Amino acid sequence: MSIKIIKPAMITTLVAGPRKGYRRWGIGAGGAMDMVAMKVSNFLVGNEGDQAALELGYSSSQILILHDSLISASGKGFELYLNDKLFPLWHPVKVKANTLLRLTKTPGGTWAYLAVQGGWKAEDWLGSCTTNSAARKGGYLGRMLQTNDMVEAETNYLADETGSLPWSISVPLLNQFYSPFNEIRCMPSIETDWLSESSKQVFSSGEFGVSSQSNRMGYRLNGPHLFVKEKNELVSSPVEVGIIQLLPDGNLVMLMADSQTTGGYPRIASVAQADLPKLAQHLPGEKIYFKWISFLEAENLLQDRDTRLAELKHSCHLQLSLMR
Amino acid sequence: MKDQYTISFLNEEAVLISFANKIDCEINDRVIELHRLLEQTPFPGLIESVPAYASLAVYFNRSELPKASPLSVFSFVESFLKNLISRLPAGTFAERRKIKIPVLYDGEDLPALADQRQLKTEEIISIHTSVPYRVFMLGFLPGFPYMGMVDARIAAPRKITPRTCVPAGSVGIAGFQTGIYPQASPGGWQLIGRTPLKIFDAIKNPPGMLMAGDEIIFFAVSQNEFNALNEY
Repeated sequence: MSIKIIKPAMITTLVAGPRKGYRRWGIGAGGAMDMVAMKVSNFLVGNEGDQAALELGYSSSQILILHDSLISASGKGFELYLNDKLFPLWHPVKVKANTLLRLTKTPGGTWAYLAVQGGWKAEDWLGSCTTNSAARKGGYLGRMLQTNDMVEAETNYLADETGSLPWSISVPLLNQFYSPFNEIRCMPSIETDWLSESSKQVFSSGEFGVSSQSNRMGYRLNGPHLFVKEKNELVSSPVEVGIIQLLPDGNLVMLMADSQTTGGYPRIASVAQADLPKLAQHLPGEKIYFKWISFLEAENLLQDRDTRLAELKHSCHLQLSLMR
Repeated sequence: MKDQYTISFLNEEAVLISFANKIDCEINDRVIELHRLLEQTPFPGLIESVPAYASLAVYFNRSELPKASPLSVFSFVESFLKNLISRLPAGTFAERRKIKIPVLYDGEDLPALADQRQLKTEEIISIHTSVPYRVFMLGFLPGFPYMGMVDARIAAPRKITPRTCVPAGSVGIAGFQTGIYPQASPGGWQLIGRTPLKIFDAIKNPPGMLMAGDEIIFFAVSQNEFNALNEY
C-alpha cells in the first residue's frame, strides 16, 4: 500500500508520538500539533495511537492512493473527498486502488491527519518516527513532503469498494475535546509574578488573536500588550510546549509542538495540556481568551481527556474486531 | 551547603527547580550535580532531567508515578526532589569530562572584533584558547552548547542583525558566552572560527558529543589541519 503526494498542503509532515528523553541534548519531543486528532485517526483504523500519521496544515492537498487501503482523516477545518465524492472526517474509510483523495480547506480549523491501518512507514529516530526539522531526521527524510513523494503503509489491505465503515465516534464526544473552542485554560508559570497586577488581569480578560507569524514552533499573538513590574533579564532556562512567553515588545508567543527546549523570555503562563489540541487548531486571525486555572484543575482535565481517549480506542478496536 | 531553590511546575508532567537567575559557575555546578544524582537515583516515571544555567527541569510520565500520591502528582515529585537536594554532597564537584576542540580561527567577525578591541587576531585567538570553558547547558538547536566564561577583553554582544544562515561548526561569541553551531541555522553570535568536528551527529546515539558539565578546551589549527580533520 502506498500513496503519492500530488499537491502537498502548506505544511505536510509525518508526525508520530513524542520523542522522549533527548531534551538534555536540545532535542525537543515534537509530535502532532493536535495529538487528539492524530491519535483518534489512528484508533479508527485499528492502530494504537502513536503510529506515524500524515499531518496536513493550513491549505488544501491532493493525494493519490495507489493501493487498496483502510484510512481515516481527522482534524478540523477540512473536507474529505475521494474521487470527488464527499466523505466524513473522523470515520474509517475503505478505499480502492487509484483513488484521488482531496482534503479541502474550510473554516474552523488548521490541521488534518491522515492515518492508515498499520501506520505509515517513517524513519525512526531516537525512539520516535515524528519529523524533527531542526535535525532533519525522523518522518520522511526529516523534511516536509513535496509533490511526487511516495509514502508507504506498514501493512496491506483489501477493499471490496470505496466506502465508509458503518460506524464512527459520536460528535458530542468529539466536541468535548474542542469546546469551548475559544477558551484556553492556563496555569500560572515560573515568571507569572513578574507581571504587573494589571497585566495579570488583562491576560485573563483581554481578547488575543493568533498572528500570521505562527508555525509549528510557536504561535504569536496580537492583542493587548503585557508589562512586567520591573525589567529583568532571564538567563536561558527550560521551556515546554504550551508555555506562553512574554516578548520584550509586550506581545506573547505560545510554544507549540516543535518548540526549542530552552528559552530566555519570561514564562508567564502554561496552557493546560488538555487544551493544546484546540489551541493548535486556531487559524491566524482567530480570537482566543485565556482563563486562569489551578494545577489541580489542569491535572483533572488531562486525566479526563486521557480516560476519554482510552475509551475511544477501546470502542474503535472493538468495532473493527467485530467486522472480521 | 544549604541550597536556596524553588520548585514549580512547568506543566502537568514537568517541574522546574530554580536555584537562581544568573550565570554563575557554582550555581551551575549544583544544577549539574542534582542532574547526575537524579540520573543515578531516578523515581518511577522519570523521563529525564534537563540542566540549564541555574535551573533543572524534570520531565516524567504521570501514569507511571507511584499511586501513593493522594492529591496531585506535583506533591510526590516535589517531596522526592526536596529529599534529593538535601542529600546533594557539599562543595563543588570535580568530575568533568575534558574535551579538546580544534578550531580554524577564520570567522567573518574576527577582523572587526580585533579592530574594535585594538587587538591582533592572534591575540584574540590566544585569549579564546587560553582558558577552559564549561558547558553550562545545551539548547536553542539540537546539540548547541552554551559555554563560558569568555574573557572580558573579547566578550562581544550578539549582532544587531542576525545572519540568516550560520554554517554548521561555526564557533561564536555572545556576551561572556561562547558556543558552536551544530547545524546550519539563522544566528546572531559573533563568528570567530569553525571546528572541523561534528559536535552533533544525528546517526549516533546520543547524537550530541557534548553534555552539560563538560570542560572544553579550544586549540587553533591551520587550514591544512582543518582539512585533514574535517568531518562535514
